Amino acid sequence: MEILSVKNLKKHYPQFDLKDVSFSLEQGYIMGFIGSNGAGKTTTLKSMLGMVHKDSGTVSMLGMDFAQHELEIKQHIGFMFGGVDYYAKTKIRTITDVVRRFYHEWDDSIYQKYMKRFALDDNKRPSELSSGMRIKYSLVLALSHRAKLLLLDEPTSGLDPVARDNLLELFQEFIEDGERSILFSTHITSDLEKCADYITYIERGCIIESRTKDDLLQAYRLVKGTSEQLAPLQARLIASKSHAYGFSGLIKTAELDPGDRLEIEEPTLEDIMIYYAKKEGLNE
Amino acid sequence: MNNLLYKELRLVIHPFYYLTSLFAALILIPYWVYFVALMYFLFIAIPNIFTNAKAQNDTGFSVLLPVKKSDVVKARVTSMAALEILQMAVAAIFVAISVAISPKGNVLIDANLAYLGCGLLLYGLFNLFFFPMYYKTGHKIGIPLMVGLTVFTIIGGIIEVLVVTVPAVAKVLDGNTPSALVSQIPVLAAGIALFAGLTWLAYRMAAKNFEAVDL
Repeated sequence: MEILSVKNLKKHYPQFDLKDVSFSLEQGYIMGFIGSNGAGKTTTLKSMLGMVHKDSGTVSMLGMDFAQHELEIKQHIGFMFGGVDYYAKTKIRTITDVVRRFYHEWDDSIYQKYMKRFALDDNKRPSELSSGMRIKYSLVLALSHRAKLLLLDEPTSGLDPVARDNLLELFQEFIEDGERSILFSTHITSDLEKCADYITYIERGCIIESRTKDDLLQAYRLVKGTSEQLAPLQARLIASKSHAYGFSGLIKTAELDPGDRLEIEEPTLEDIMIYYAKKEGLNE
Repeated sequence: MNNLLYKELRLVIHPFYYLTSLFAALILIPYWVYFVALMYFLFIAIPNIFTNAKAQNDTGFSVLLPVKKSDVVKARVTSMAALEILQMAVAAIFVAISVAISPKGNVLIDANLAYLGCGLLLYGLFNLFFFPMYYKTGHKIGIPLMVGLTVFTIIGGIIEVLVVTVPAVAKVLDGNTPSALVSQIPVLAAGIALFAGLTWLAYRMAAKNFEAVDL
């Protein structure tokens, strides 16, 4: 079953447009939402949640239209934008005491379990926590009301590699029962290589790709060749970089011709992002 | 809605601000402008509570909760109206003391039931201007507060001037004898009704404005 579906989401800003954003996510999977800074990841997430007014498009979660069933949906999803950046000097215990009242399915035993697992002390205040701990606390709040879908904006940025790995393991655990899903935005592509099943890639407000990670990686190839080989290939390349020994570039696998006699490698997600960004003129 | 009110009391409003209602003791000053006693709430509690909420990113916190945006506004307007009612209740106690200890009354409006009715009207007018303007952004307080205070001051000033210069107005609003107080009951009742009506209108307009804000 589709747990999340976004169709033709549009939002116009004077300096930026979200253009026809569409993607969907099935139950039991993790989708990574990637794109460079300012590509529209947070705007998409905020438009999906009604925090930013979309100009058009539909969003449904848990099989319900978001606009019509906002409160019911919010009872069963968890979302976070970065770590806890509110009530910095209030004890975590007090914040939790306020938050728990809002959820019908709040489970104190889950809350206690994750607080213990993350070594979070609820006598502390958010200002006393590291940025990683703040993200973890934010995640505990999302997990404790038995959310079926998590929408997380950059949950792993600011975390050390060990904490990131722990978090990714937790994500895997979360979807294990096949009924829950996670959509998380990030620009740390190695996180996705570890745990994402699907990738949605946004650049300059446009969805460039939304498919399984393996399909995505198979759909592109990194090619290397000499400077002489570049000119005839240029039109087929998504983008290329020239260097002293020749060039390297990204090409759609379907566009490859055995007669090209190029050095061919499987790209990483980072390669795909970098070359697309180059195509869009973002890293000129 | 109750949960949001609990949030206001637990996280947003520092208990100290309940004490600003004690400024109503200024009503005991003989020969004074008693509407000023009601303004300390607007000088101290309102700006501090709102700037504190902004500094703590209360809006960012509230929108993460499973609530409607209009309920976030309703909870804030309701909690501030409750503080205004608390202020008026404490003022009523000091009005009663004033009636008991200074029967001579005041040059301007006396501390009486009509004064309480007018005070409620002034708070209602403050709410009507302040909340809808504030919720056009949800974080800028300066101009909405200045406009609200200006409206309070001008209308309060007009009432004071009319009490002194127009005998017909003085007859309705002034005096603290037992018979005058009885005749002022309708003014107090009108004040209560106007406060409720204006504050409700303020909430409706504020919620509509806040709905349009991208967070």
